[in-house]
Amino acid sequence: MLISCPWCGPRELEEFRFRSVVAGGNDATAWNAPRAFAEVYERTNVPDASIEYWQHDRGCRAWLVVQRDPSTAAVLAVRLLATEVET
Amino acid sequence: MSRPKPGYSAIALASAALTGGRQWRPLWRRAPLQEAYDVVVVGAGGHGLATAYHLARDHGVKRIAVLDRHLVGYGNVGRNTTVVRSNYLLPENHYFYEDALRRWQTLSRDLNYNVMYSPRGVVDLAISDDEMTAYARRGNAMRLAGIDAELLDRVGLRRFVPEVDLEVPRRFPIVGGLLQRRGGTVRHDAVAWGYARAAAALGVEIIERCEVTGVRSSGNVATGLETSQGYVRADRIVFAVAGHTGAIGTLLGVPLPIETHLLQAMVTEPIKPLLNTVLIYMYEHGEVYISQSDRGGLVMGGMLDGLPSYTREGLWFRLEDVVQAAVALLPQIGGLKLLRHWAGTNDMTMDGSPIMDRLRFDNVFLNGGWCYGGFKAIPASGAAFATFVANGTAPDLIRPYRLSRFATGHLIDEKGAGPFPARQ
Repeated sequence: MLISCPWCGPRELEEFRFRSVVAGGNDATAWNAPRAFAEVYERTNVPDASIEYWQHDRGCRAWLVVQRDPSTAAVLAVRLLATEVET
Repeated sequence: MSRPKPGYSAIALASAALTGGRQWRPLWRRAPLQEAYDVVVVGAGGHGLATAYHLARDHGVKRIAVLDRHLVGYGNVGRNTTVVRSNYLLPENHYFYEDALRRWQTLSRDLNYNVMYSPRGVVDLAISDDEMTAYARRGNAMRLAGIDAELLDRVGLRRFVPEVDLEVPRRFPIVGGLLQRRGGTVRHDAVAWGYARAAAALGVEIIERCEVTGVRSSGNVATGLETSQGYVRADRIVFAVAGHTGAIGTLLGVPLPIETHLLQAMVTEPIKPLLNTVLIYMYEHGEVYISQSDRGGLVMGGMLDGLPSYTREGLWFRLEDVVQAAVALLPQIGGLKLLRHWAGTNDMTMDGSPIMDRLRFDNVFLNGGWCYGGFKAIPASGAAFATFVANGTAPDLIRPYRLSRFATGHLIDEKGAGPFPARQ
């Protein structure tokens, strides 16, 4: 299974580390206690769509936002967390 | 309503041998889906069947159905590595799992079905003096709760597990271990079949290939389930769907503190008796737990694959990790071939402990979040959860596992890993 790193190109999954599921949006102004709880603890488990933080930690160490389908393990889209560059 | 089957006994076995086995009947009746039940249990795995069995046996509930989208025992109850133990540090966990272990000891008699409980001991191996200190603490916590635990130094370990050569140079040398002698293995398929047979004998209807697709409700009460075999009304609904617990939350519109991750297991070709216990060997980036089945194969598992997945297809690098750890532990098995290899979906919670609570509706009960530790909990979970469903109040044994603990901060985080399901 390959993940296409925006810097390094297609690399084996083993080079990457799954960090966490992206639970909410990224609007920092909307933070409050219930929102923080939801972000940390609550997951909407949709079997065919998951947006996740990954890191290419045995490669260029870039943090990535990866969109995957957990029911087939297909990687649908990868972008850099820092610059939001589409690949 | 099917009549109770004649029990298994030495006399029944002898008479069947003389008559060519013609008296044996299927263990449970294949029932058609009725229009309505008192309790519908979703999921014919260990927890679902045990809950149904105890509802019928202990609480006299009459009309019970157990639905499964596949077959009895097709899910995690038949995919685990069959280990049972109660060697937990935290009081909530060790009292609960000790209740389960005591029930495992008598389960074959209770179900009149041989589940092959084998108290061969479970040894957590330590690779540093610091870890020995942590094991001493865990062992002492267990002993204070009346649970057996023995700290083994190298001499004690050599005596108990002579198969492990402590002099072999290892990157992570073994310095001792924590032994629970009453821990061991139970044949997992027999658990599913034994509970199914015992529940069916009490009138529980088991309906296979019946997938639940939706829940109908009226106000705070769920009224029934949409299934692939039509609509069924239910006074109370129990979800015990293991790896798909998160999806049940999504189906009911309740986000749960659960992610679904894969765990692999594998078995080698059979060999003559080599290993008389269950060994657990963990270090920073690898892990193996290993035991020998009655057929002779070495059954192994390790860490989660590490990313959310429903595929049941294990990743190659994790298979390598497990095998490397196994060969580091027991170099003499290096020449063996793997016979089979599989994966199961694990409903990993944010603190590594299960969730047993109501879910959204007053009459909907969730038994899930078992992570990779559900098998050993089955007898305690079934008995306590049936009491919860029958009486409406959770027994003390399972009250700590309520869903609201995440919001109130009463987490039961055995590993101290924090809210990262992949690391639990």
